[in-house]
Amino acid sequence: MPASIDAILDALPYLLQGSLVTIGVVLGAMGLGLLIGVSLALGQVYGPRPLGVPIGLYIWFFRGVPLLVLLFLFYFGLFSLMGLNLSAFAVAAIVLGLISAAYQSQIFRGAILSLPEGQLKAARALGMSDTRAIVSVVLPQALRLSIPGWSNEYSIVLKDSAVAYALGVAEVMARAHFVATRTYEHLPLYVAAGMIFLILTFLGTRGLRMLEDKVRIPGYSR
Amino acid sequence: MSEDVPVLRVEGLSKRYGEKPVLEDASFSIREGELKILIGPSGGGKSTLLQCINYLVKPDAGRIWLDGDEVVPARKRELYAYRQKVGMIFQDFNLFDHLTALANVQIALSKVRKLPRDEARKRAVMELERVGLKDHIAKYPAQLSGGQKQRVSIARALAMDPKVMLLDEPTSALDPELITEVLAVIRDLGLEGMTMLMATHQIGFALDLAHEMIFMEDGRIVETGPPRKILSTADCDRTREFCGKLTDLYGEAR
Repeated sequence: MPASIDAILDALPYLLQGSLVTIGVVLGAMGLGLLIGVSLALGQVYGPRPLGVPIGLYIWFFRGVPLLVLLFLFYFGLFSLMGLNLSAFAVAAIVLGLISAAYQSQIFRGAILSLPEGQLKAARALGMSDTRAIVSVVLPQALRLSIPGWSNEYSIVLKDSAVAYALGVAEVMARAHFVATRTYEHLPLYVAAGMIFLILTFLGTRGLRMLEDKVRIPGYSR
Repeated sequence: MSEDVPVLRVEGLSKRYGEKPVLEDASFSIREGELKILIGPSGGGKSTLLQCINYLVKPDAGRIWLDGDEVVPARKRELYAYRQKVGMIFQDFNLFDHLTALANVQIALSKVRKLPRDEARKRAVMELERVGLKDHIAKYPAQLSGGQKQRVSIARALAMDPKVMLLDEPTSALDPELITEVLAVIRDLGLEGMTMLMATHQIGFALDLAHEMIFMEDGRIVETGPPRKILSTADCDRTREFCGKLTDLYGEAR
């Protein structure tokens, strides 16, 4: 047993550097997913009817094709076809972000639809344009309501980011695998990798919970 | 402004949902300082009429003039400017739940009228004082009573300096004690000369203050006249029947 602990301790600095890469991929993916997801949701709820078709296709595609297929498709195929020479890190963040956007859009759509319709009417009655009403009235409330769902999505994207290992991104899983095959200390290293993911999940969901409390609208019970 | 140009003139306003007409050929006008009361059974078209007037519901036909200028709702900027001059009060308040009472009143001043922050704030505080909510400006809608919420919404509309106010059953969602505080605010507005069109079942209030009553049923304006006439000796049987019931329920005057 002490040998296993030694193996973990030896590899720990190397694994922790990997956790920074994991965090980078996840932050990039969640940020991109937020931007695209909100746009898709607004398009679905407030956009003209024909816009629903491409948005529906987008969501169907990115929710339907497996992550690994998409990573290879973009890394080895689409991006080079477009003449883009992106790093494996960037491709992983972008692909995870594109997928997450499909899921996030439905979190935001649900939140927008749950708002009382009368508030939008009141905003219009005050002379606000639809864009102004969405920015000042709809989104501040919809985004608050989206935090629990978003926290869930964070934990999924965090775990999915381990698949970026297949592109050779030096994140936690890739590093654990690399050390394990060199030292034959498989069990302790994968235990360590798993624990790093558990801690990142805890920190992220905890942080989002604190954000939820911080921006809670006074007068509403938990 | 010339005496004979009404503040608001509505001509032939109509709206149908599918085959069902909900508003048919409504025409009337309101002069400066007048308070007109819309009465009639639920589903009779009062709410649709009020919402068509500021194009929250798009009418199928009809024309509207504010101070003699025809409104062209297809021109967005003109529509937004027109809506600022037409204050709207809803039955269920429709306050912005994420903003304090102060911010509810301030937001359109800042974002629509583009007033500087200090000025917008000063004006918002003034309007909230006017409706008796000086001590509640920092509260959120969920921390206010129904009557307080409705008064915030009145302050929010007043801050835009409306030429006319549309009130859609402003006291229907309130219990009797709260109704009084809201009606008192509306009464003061009327006495200050605010031009208003108000849907309500508060007969006593209407008798005291209304210049004219409009009875609506099945999407049509059935009868128009002075409140006492409409309530007791209306020409139309149906108007008399409905008003008789209202009087039984709420009493003739306070």
